[in-house]
Amino acid sequence: MIAVRRSSISPLQLAALASAALVLSPLGYVTAMALSADAAIWHRLWTTRIPELLGNTVSLAGAVALLTLVLGVSTAWMVTRFEFPGRRLWEVGLVLPLAMPTYVLAYVYNYLLGFGGPVEHLWQMIAGPQARVISPQSFWGVTFVMALDTFPFVYLLTRSALLSFNVSFEEVARTCGASPLRRMFSVILPLLRPSIVAGLALVILYVVSDFGAVSLLRYQTLTYAVFQQMTGRSDNQAASILSVLLVILALLFLLTERWSRRKSRFYQTTGRVRAPQRMRCGWWHTAALTVCLAAVIGLSFGIPAYLLVIWSLSPEAQAILDARFFGFVRNSALLSILAATAGVLVGLPLAYLAGRKPTWINTACLQAAYAGYVLPGPVAALAVLVLFLNVLPFFYGTVIVLVVAYVLHFLPAGLQSLEPSIQQITPNLEEAARTLGLTVRDTWRRVTLPLIRNGVIVAWVLIFLQTMKELPATLLLRPVGFDTLAIRVWLEASEEYYQLAAPSALLIVLVGLPALVLLLSRDWRAAQEPS
Amino acid sequence: MTHADADRLGGQVNLYQPVSSILELRSVSCAYDPGRPAIRDMSFSIREGEILCLLGPSGCGKTTVLRAIAGFEPVQSGQIFLSGQLVSSSSETIPTEQRRVGMVFQEYALFPHLRVTDNIAFGLRHLSRDERIRRVQEMLRLAGLEGLERRYPHELSGGQQQRVALARALAQNPVVLLLDEPFSNLDPDMAGRMREEVHALLHRMKTTTILVTHDHDEAFAMADSIAVLNQGHLEQLDSPELVYHVPATPFVADFVGQADFLPGQIRQGLVHTELGEFPNTLNSAEGTSVVVMIRPDDIHVAPNQSAEARIADRQFRGSENLYTVRLPSGQIIHSSESSTSVYQEGTPVEIRILATHTVLFDVSALPRPPG
Repeated sequence: MIAVRRSSISPLQLAALASAALVLSPLGYVTAMALSADAAIWHRLWTTRIPELLGNTVSLAGAVALLTLVLGVSTAWMVTRFEFPGRRLWEVGLVLPLAMPTYVLAYVYNYLLGFGGPVEHLWQMIAGPQARVISPQSFWGVTFVMALDTFPFVYLLTRSALLSFNVSFEEVARTCGASPLRRMFSVILPLLRPSIVAGLALVILYVVSDFGAVSLLRYQTLTYAVFQQMTGRSDNQAASILSVLLVILALLFLLTERWSRRKSRFYQTTGRVRAPQRMRCGWWHTAALTVCLAAVIGLSFGIPAYLLVIWSLSPEAQAILDARFFGFVRNSALLSILAATAGVLVGLPLAYLAGRKPTWINTACLQAAYAGYVLPGPVAALAVLVLFLNVLPFFYGTVIVLVVAYVLHFLPAGLQSLEPSIQQITPNLEEAARTLGLTVRDTWRRVTLPLIRNGVIVAWVLIFLQTMKELPATLLLRPVGFDTLAIRVWLEASEEYYQLAAPSALLIVLVGLPALVLLLSRDWRAAQEPS
Repeated sequence: MTHADADRLGGQVNLYQPVSSILELRSVSCAYDPGRPAIRDMSFSIREGEILCLLGPSGCGKTTVLRAIAGFEPVQSGQIFLSGQLVSSSSETIPTEQRRVGMVFQEYALFPHLRVTDNIAFGLRHLSRDERIRRVQEMLRLAGLEGLERRYPHELSGGQQQRVALARALAQNPVVLLLDEPFSNLDPDMAGRMREEVHALLHRMKTTTILVTHDHDEAFAMADSIAVLNQGHLEQLDSPELVYHVPATPFVADFVGQADFLPGQIRQGLVHTELGEFPNTLNSAEGTSVVVMIRPDDIHVAPNQSAEARIADRQFRGSENLYTVRLPSGQIIHSSESSTSVYQEGTPVEIRILATHTVLFDVSALPRPPG
């Protein structure tokens, strides 16, 4: 008979449980706070703010989703179905808007479309001196800015789906006598639906949890309201009620997406898949496609980036590039390094245990860590703030609080690259190492770690870059006088000092570009084009 | 292209050869990329209700022929006629959706977002609702899919998926049905059963069919006639029996079954080989070197202590024993014997040849050196 040694809880297990607790306890505190709030507060909020905030948030999400649907799918179609000079360049260029945080794009458009701005001047020359352009601080203005910033999510997922689309479906529809229009609407679009919906879900989550754009464009959403309750009124209880609503809303969107995707894994046939051939374009087609793509990228990245460069080179901006500015750079870098390191240390045991020993407790810990996914920045900040005020008040106002909030907020991003990298190595490798005489510790050092190194690096870089541009949690939790680049952009832009905000904004955009490279290399590999 | 144009073009061609078949290819060449023809100068035609099999190794261009007929591949030169109408030429390609061809893809390409009934009804938009329902019911019955109407493709087995794909292609009453390696995704047992079923169904519906395969057993089981393709070029088009017994080229001989090539020389009007004389069916000149093709089922061995040929190897194949025999010259030939006659390796055997006909090839035509 073989004796099975039942080990007691391992240190790894403890670490995972602690990580899960770290994520869940702030959430628990906020929920408890919301539920224990006086009925009068609930009533007041419910009769005054909530209907308007809910309406604003949902209608903004809907409008942005619709616009990104059109932009994302049509641009993906252009670069996957046509062959024309410069196609590869556009294919990569369409991702660039993701490097632009919403508050940067919002502040540029605040200037461009604003009262007395260049677009209004141009328009008045054409349409007469009384003509007005659509205000950036309106529903449609916010929709426009958010859609320009988020359509690459839809573009990326639709593009991958189109590249791996099995052309046999189209061909069989042709043998059944289907016209091009019918093929598009009854074959191609239904088959792309899971990918498009996944892209739209990302867009909606992004919009619902966005703080930067709505705060600069003064558009009242739930996320913005949470921030206002915490700062303007210092009413954490009202803020927690709004937060709970916000989380429920985000969860609803997420579950809807999961539900609509439940059959998607059946949507690709196994076996031989031939990708469709690209249509070669004449000069007329090429010109039309180039104009469309140039307009989209110009509006979402080209023109804003150009303005940031021009402003950064202005004398006003040059004057602030002093020791104080480099202090902000140092603060941003320090916070990002701390957050990324902490995030990887917290995420690694979670991902490893869930991958290697998928007991219900390990899986539950991992799922709990993904909760940050539905936590907008202000909510994460509120949750951490409440926790620290109640449990460890002496840490309040230190960098530690901030780092905990970042980890809570960005752990999902890190886990998304840690998890697959651990799942990719078969346990046989570790077992083989053990049969060759290595101890558990040696196996980790000499086999597991080298194999997951790339995943760990990617996770670290992703958290680093996300923290770099994080705004609301930093605004709410930073130690007094501890400004980062993102804070500077927001503060200067709020006062409409466009030139002064530019150097910090430009630096954030430039630092964000490597994140795109990581994102692309993963996505590009997932849907490798047949040569 | 207007109707007048089509008539004029068709009419011109009609002057020297009337179009009588359902499908005809005339000197068709296709190229995946210019300079490397995937098929060259392909000509054949198919009668109504016939099942034609395009047989060849992978990369021989058989799928390209199918795709050219469907209208997916433009032709570089030559013409394709469907029911007497010109559908493909170097200047014109009538779009697939106007050709009324049915196609079953290797991986079936069932629309995963549609139920079985909606998949089958996909090509029936031109019918009224009642007619459509009736047609779908009929196809479900013919294909043996009753009870699966509400299922999605992923809820079906491989064989059921194939039946749906077939029903979808046949529902619109296609002029010609194109099957691209339809049984290659099924396990061998299922493939055998589906072959029988499909064969019976096609015969019952009198559907003109072109089937692409690399498996000669499948071709033999299904086809009324077989076109053997090699490197983009048609080597032989004949009935299965003729393709097997009287192959036109050594390639065909080798591809449709096991064959040995026995070298010989013409002397006094006969082919002299190590195993005796054969008639000179090629009418080659005196002294020419030729090879005789012999199939294992035409060669019989019997143990004989004084014989010089030796059994070199035995492969048990269930219904037969395949013997490898080494002749005194070192030449290797194969013999197929009943599975009950077992001879040990090294047994000296006498060889008898029981061929009803002799197939001769020029030595230069051989695909590889014999032995």
